[in-house]
Amino acid sequence: MSPEVSVKPLEFLGFAGLGLSVLLHMIFVAITLGVGLVTAIYRYLAYRRSDSALEVFARRGFRVMIVTELFSGVWGTIITVFLAGFFPGLVALATNVLFTPLAVAVASIMIRIPSIVIFWYTWGRISPRIHSLIGWIMALSGFGIPLGFRTLFSEITYPYAVATYLSEGSVNPWRAYGSPLFWSLYLHTVFATISAGAFFLASIQSLVKDVKGVSIALKYGFVFLILQLFAGPLYWYTLHRDSPYIFSAVTFGDFSPFLILKMVLVIALIVLGLYSLAMINLRNEIYRYTRYIGLIALIVIFLGELLNDGSRYPYIVTLGEGGLSLSAFFNLYMDVPASVVFVILGFLFLAIALFLVSFYYAIVKRFLPEIPER
Amino acid sequence: MDSIASLLYLSALGIYFHAVFVSLTLGLPLVIMSLLYMYTRTGEEKYLNSTRIATMVLAVNFALGAITGTLVEFGLVQIWPGTNLAIATFAFAPLALELIAFANEIAFLILFIVTLGRIKTIYSILILALYWVFALFSGLLITTVNSWLVAPWGVGPVTSALYPFMPSYGPLATDPQKLVALKIILLASGQPLQSVLQMPDVAKSIGIILTDPLVSLVSPYNVISVLHNLIAAVIIGSSLPLVAWAYRYYRSGNKDYVKILRAFFIPLLVLILIQPTLIGHFMGEAVVEYNPTKFAMMEGAKETFYNPIVALVAYGDLNHPIIGFDRLAQRCDSLGNQTIGDLAKTLNLSKDTLISIANSINVKLDPNKLDTVLSTKVRDVCISDLNKALQRLELVHIAYYTKIGGGVVAFLTSIALAGLLYNIPVITPLVNLVLRPIKRNETKIFLLASLIFIGVVLAAFFGWFVREVGRKPWTVYGLLYPEELVSISPVSREATFVVAAALIILGVNLGGLYAMYVVATKELRFLDLLKKGLGAVR
Repeated sequence: MSPEVSVKPLEFLGFAGLGLSVLLHMIFVAITLGVGLVTAIYRYLAYRRSDSALEVFARRGFRVMIVTELFSGVWGTIITVFLAGFFPGLVALATNVLFTPLAVAVASIMIRIPSIVIFWYTWGRISPRIHSLIGWIMALSGFGIPLGFRTLFSEITYPYAVATYLSEGSVNPWRAYGSPLFWSLYLHTVFATISAGAFFLASIQSLVKDVKGVSIALKYGFVFLILQLFAGPLYWYTLHRDSPYIFSAVTFGDFSPFLILKMVLVIALIVLGLYSLAMINLRNEIYRYTRYIGLIALIVIFLGELLNDGSRYPYIVTLGEGGLSLSAFFNLYMDVPASVVFVILGFLFLAIALFLVSFYYAIVKRFLPEIPER
Repeated sequence: MDSIASLLYLSALGIYFHAVFVSLTLGLPLVIMSLLYMYTRTGEEKYLNSTRIATMVLAVNFALGAITGTLVEFGLVQIWPGTNLAIATFAFAPLALELIAFANEIAFLILFIVTLGRIKTIYSILILALYWVFALFSGLLITTVNSWLVAPWGVGPVTSALYPFMPSYGPLATDPQKLVALKIILLASGQPLQSVLQMPDVAKSIGIILTDPLVSLVSPYNVISVLHNLIAAVIIGSSLPLVAWAYRYYRSGNKDYVKILRAFFIPLLVLILIQPTLIGHFMGEAVVEYNPTKFAMMEGAKETFYNPIVALVAYGDLNHPIIGFDRLAQRCDSLGNQTIGDLAKTLNLSKDTLISIANSINVKLDPNKLDTVLSTKVRDVCISDLNKALQRLELVHIAYYTKIGGGVVAFLTSIALAGLLYNIPVITPLVNLVLRPIKRNETKIFLLASLIFIGVVLAAFFGWFVREVGRKPWTVYGLLYPEELVSISPVSREATFVVAAALIILGVNLGGLYAMYVVATKELRFLDLLKKGLGAVR
């Protein structure tokens, strides 16, 4: 049921490249935000309770971050370059109207990434109290990033601050935070990332058969999954109210199969999570399929973001039942060589392959030790 | 201080911190590969232990480099959003290729960290070498974007039409009519470029501006600039571990540290020797050719003068005058009474056409203001901009000669240190003679290593200052001013924003540097802390 809007092949390539970058970035973000929070909490509890088992749990989980975070950040940079290169007009508009939220996001990135690396490399070198503090800074700064960047997603779905700017001609720096769609999207994002990150952590812990670790991670994943059962429908409802085009596309249109698949996987998460927890509580053993719970959670994240972003096609900004087509903000200042784009995408896939090899050796083969060597 | 000046300082702060971390990103791999090579040859654990420390520092440093890079990137698109037009055209190819470099750089670095000590050392060297290649490629591409701002390759004679003392910047790969129309509309509307770019369908109305997307990659100015910048970065990044291990030697007297210094000193020495003599020379020639105002500022040439040494180095001719601002002004005078309107007419841009173009991109022009712009003499614009550049002459001149001084110190002390680390005829006895008052060999080595570090840092710091301030009053040399590229968001002009951003930049970067120091110097007590049940340390 796509409307009659003509899209040139290069415009589609730009949209698809941007979409791919966003989807991959979101997968990594989900891992790092959730794992970061849980490990910061347990590093702190280990310090407060003098419980070395909790510290090893935190450290084991955090290995994931040290491998993943920088690579996750790369995809953020890739998104920026895709946006600025292919949709320069949109970036010019966003950096004006959303100046303050974007500044919040950039400030959070500046704090977040160094604190992750510092948290890892100072572990065992500085006092646990200071180390725990760095952990909290690391975990909480992560949530400042979507607090900024999700305004952009919110505005291209339901222009609220932009609409005010275009009608009044002046920018209200905090206007984007008045958008009702933004807050439901932000909550949906935060709950989803914590839940997915915790489930991912449960999978990692199950690989080393740490029953207590799996239990802790599953509980966090489960609590935030339950919260998602409220945040998800709330976002769906705000889409219905504020962005009918996307609501129709995901509910009745071309993207509805993805929504159904997502729902099925959420049910699978609930069932698998409950069963895994029951096995631990009743038999003190890890259910063998628990190791796949992280993967399922990440697929749910992927599908959710695909629904959120892909369903706007062929528009870049949706307005009611229609929107502004890709070409409204597309780079028409030169003929972008498609061959260059394909070469770049090819090399990016090579980078992903290399990353997966590193991840396998670091986490699965445990080249990156929980207990650091002297 | 006006708001645009404060934003320029803010950008400079971010860029300088980025430069610190990028230097280590490029320099440390050379050090680590040298240490690993020595480890494969000797099997001595000290090389592997030193490698581990340097790798941890590299990891923390890389994270800081990545976030300061992100900061610079956002600085461009957010504080200077007019550059979006450049990112979508001239900078598109280098930035797009940079994605390849950046993603693979990180992937190889992670692979190196994860597998170090777990696989054969030769494979570790290979993985790090691949990381280094992508890191250098990344540096090449980012320098390309900066070089385009310094010498906008592909705009052909467009700049020299306004400023006759400027050369033609390569082939004409742009549509001069559109470029000039946009510039006149900006001048007449008084609006920064962002106000035009942000409107939907503007790109459709303007259409193709750039016909050769790869033109910025083939700039001759860029070729030498890349070599100059990357070698400078590798030198600084290798000099820091040099001074760090020299300090350890000074404190402990342990001769193992001399072996570690020797492991990577020779490649560092070679780079320090060729940078000012060979690369610096060609860089200077490129500045003379492509940035005449900057060269006049560097030499303090308010008036044209004769200096055979500078003339020989810059022009290859002892008798060539050092062109000063007086001669550049004479070139402006050659424009006579030609107005911007006359210039526009040669490109078929009448007043009506300009108003029509402005309307098509949603810019409302005041006809009277447009008349004022069109009747402005080109000579007046040329002289006015020369005067703005002239105001910075003293500053750039002093900075340039401080840079030269730093380079000379590094050059001489690196030769002297070679004389201490190795037995070199003539040099070793001479160095020992000069440093006779200093008794301890440890002190001599630490002193010379420190002087090398101070020298190269001074050279790089002031070198970059000259590169950036020397191209003012333009951000894109001869084409665009900072006030045309700056954000239209009122928040960006608020003092609170600038102060908050500066504090965050300072806090994060200084904290990061301290963390690198902790990682490099603090003993790992993980098990001790763990065994104490953690509570004991509370």
